[in-house]
Amino acid sequence: MSHTKQTSVKLVLLGEAAVGKSSLVLRFVSNDFQENKEPTIGAAFLTQRCTIGSKTIKFEIWDTAGQERFANLAPLYYRNAQAALVVYDITKPASFIKARRWVNELRENANKNIIIALVANKYDLVLSEESGEEVDGARKVSIEEGQNLADEEGLLFFETSAKTSYNVNEVFMAIGEKIPDNANKNNNADTSVNSGTNRIDLNSPVDPNVNSQNCAC
Amino acid sequence: MAASVDTTLRRPSMAERRPSMAERRPSMNTRRPSVIPHLAGIEDPVFPSTPEDCDVLICGTGLVESILSAALSWAGTNVLHVDSNPYYGDTTATMTIEQIKAWCHNVNLNTPGFHGFAKALMYIPRPAKLNSRDYSIDLTPRLLFAKSDLLSLMVKSRVYRYLEFQSISNFHTFENDTFGKMSSSKEEIFTDQSLSLATKRSLMKLMKFVFEYDSEGNKQLMAEFGPTPFLKFVNDKYKLSDAQVNELCFTLGLAPTPDISTLAALARIRRYLISFNVYGSFPALYSKFGGPGELSQGFCRSAAVAGATYKLDSPIKSYDPSTQKVTFRDGTKVNVAEKVVCSASQAPEGAKNVPERKHQVNRLITIVERSCKEWFNEGESASVVVFPPKSLDSMNNYPVQVIIMGAGSGCCPAGQCIWYLSTIEKDQRGRKDLESALKKMEDSILRESEDGGFDVDLTEDDVIVRPDGSLSVINSVKLGKSFKEFAPKEKLTYLFKLMFTQFTSIDPLDSHTGAPSTTSFDDNGKNSIPGPDQGILYSQMPSTEISYDGVLAEVRALYTKIVGSDDDFFDVDFEDDDENSSPSGPPAGGVGAAAGLQDESAIIDEDGEEFKDEMDFEL
Repeated sequence: MSHTKQTSVKLVLLGEAAVGKSSLVLRFVSNDFQENKEPTIGAAFLTQRCTIGSKTIKFEIWDTAGQERFANLAPLYYRNAQAALVVYDITKPASFIKARRWVNELRENANKNIIIALVANKYDLVLSEESGEEVDGARKVSIEEGQNLADEEGLLFFETSAKTSYNVNEVFMAIGEKIPDNANKNNNADTSVNSGTNRIDLNSPVDPNVNSQNCAC
Repeated sequence: MAASVDTTLRRPSMAERRPSMAERRPSMNTRRPSVIPHLAGIEDPVFPSTPEDCDVLICGTGLVESILSAALSWAGTNVLHVDSNPYYGDTTATMTIEQIKAWCHNVNLNTPGFHGFAKALMYIPRPAKLNSRDYSIDLTPRLLFAKSDLLSLMVKSRVYRYLEFQSISNFHTFENDTFGKMSSSKEEIFTDQSLSLATKRSLMKLMKFVFEYDSEGNKQLMAEFGPTPFLKFVNDKYKLSDAQVNELCFTLGLAPTPDISTLAALARIRRYLISFNVYGSFPALYSKFGGPGELSQGFCRSAAVAGATYKLDSPIKSYDPSTQKVTFRDGTKVNVAEKVVCSASQAPEGAKNVPERKHQVNRLITIVERSCKEWFNEGESASVVVFPPKSLDSMNNYPVQVIIMGAGSGCCPAGQCIWYLSTIEKDQRGRKDLESALKKMEDSILRESEDGGFDVDLTEDDVIVRPDGSLSVINSVKLGKSFKEFAPKEKLTYLFKLMFTQFTSIDPLDSHTGAPSTTSFDDNGKNSIPGPDQGILYSQMPSTEISYDGVLAEVRALYTKIVGSDDDFFDVDFEDDDENSSPSGPPAGGVGAAAGLQDESAIIDEDGEEFKDEMDFEL
């Protein structure tokens, strides 16, 4: 295996409850890019690597974990996020209105240069099972409306189906392509202080005998 | 009796609670992994209404409540976690300038949700230069010792992965108008030119005792002297100067009072020493972008991943223990099967059972227009300064403890610095001490030059006076008092200044152990006084301690009170889904730690015993 440069990218999910945020991530993470892996209990976030051209991107995907229910996401959630998916359900206009609010929320709370993808999910619901054509009236948010919002705000835009996996990988690949190669170095660019050298990994003590995980805590 | 049988039937025991996360773990052929909370699922739509039922309702998202919420959630308890404020953190919040302004207002109006704080006095010069969101200000800043229970828990629970930690190695002591830094490691003591051989010997003897005081051989000695004042003990038994004793007791030990017992002081000093060299040659760390407020958010997220529901801006109005219903101020009700836990600050209006808060900590938080990097170790952005008792013009009876956070901590913009001063001295006296310490800090930082040269050994002759009268190099650490009058009368710009009093029921003498006050646990309904909070289990206001020690002990006590025991406290096999998640490589700050070991054999104990292996500071 060639050792390409790996860039870690924190990606946060936003969107009204039940628009399929987790399903999108599950589709992306468990649908084999490199290896099929079950997400594990207690994982701080889900990760997935994908290779785009010469670079490898490791997505650290933060699900809202239910904290979006009352829109009570902590500042910690947005901190240093380099990418975001703002998801709505094309059969639910209210979720599209909320999507606008989440974009604003990101503009207020996240890094200035965050890459945002607007994702219109549940495309499968507007398709007829027999013909594969769009069923009249099933769709409540037009593709133009979504595209307009994306154009206004400078967002990537995709219609997806987590169920059929339509366009799911494409969303992440498109984000990956926009991530600058030296993204890790610029992680703290918004504070304009270079402090990357002093970061301590709590899981790597100098003396391995202390703070082991079997500690009485 | 019929009534009591009735109650038993209505209250499901914890044995019947839903299976824990580990038990709910999907079998291999289940497509849907349980790590994804059902709330966010496609097939399970939810609406933003408050749940009607929960096992445990927790009010307040301070650090203690947040860890408790995560612990209960991972054990399978259905937790509804609310806060009366629209932000996370409660009494341990990390705030922006605008949030702090609103907080002051509410404290002074004695608004419910802000109990336990008083007399907030804020000053922001006009025109205000502050961009509110550039700041992360902690109400109760804390340091994380490298070897501590909370740090271990953060590693085990993976909460550390949400946060970023940085080292803090400079623990200064203010003495004779200078900031001294003690030789606190074996290597430093050996190589310190300013110490006489006798002093070195005495220091090493004491350090050795710090590690052995609880051994079998010292049992009798400790039985006699353990409860007696440490300062007397150490003066009687060791030949050390007052300055050295002060450093040991108040700077390394962060003892909050000169009345500290020998036992407590030794435990505190040992905490510092065993934390040294765990991650590098520094004893403590802090989380970037804010302290306890950030940690709270990390644990809240962990709780949410385990299934807890979060709702901010939801003050509670009352709890009725007979129907087990909580009523929120907006009229919504929720059934609580097990227990209501409430932060003392968020007690409902008219509360009758809040634990008595007889201890005080006075805090002064200020932002100055200076980087203050002179006070930081190379590559670091924070330091600690302690003003021992009687070291200030106000003749302070208690130490003033200061945490200094530079721009590299992510808490303020470049070129600025946040100073957190605190003391357990009460009322006006306490505020005088804080002001007095602030003045000393201002004098000191003005004496120190921004343009470096501090790695050079200076004498007074080395200071150059420029034609314009300014000094090109001053190092107050070395030059101290003699140069005080020499410094140009430059003004230090204060961008923000806040003073307030916080109350707590945790005795400062116990603050490092977190011994819970018994009054907070009189919640069995029988003991509690009728009122809107009858039967509520209160968590306490933050202690006066400036480390995280004691926090976890309180959480465990609350957990035991709710569950019956703490046997399954975070008893979850957390796994990383990414085995390459911890990039190896030497942690920062390890430079120069191994210097000077060749002098070791020069120091021999009176018994002729070499301090070679026994003096290893890692237990």
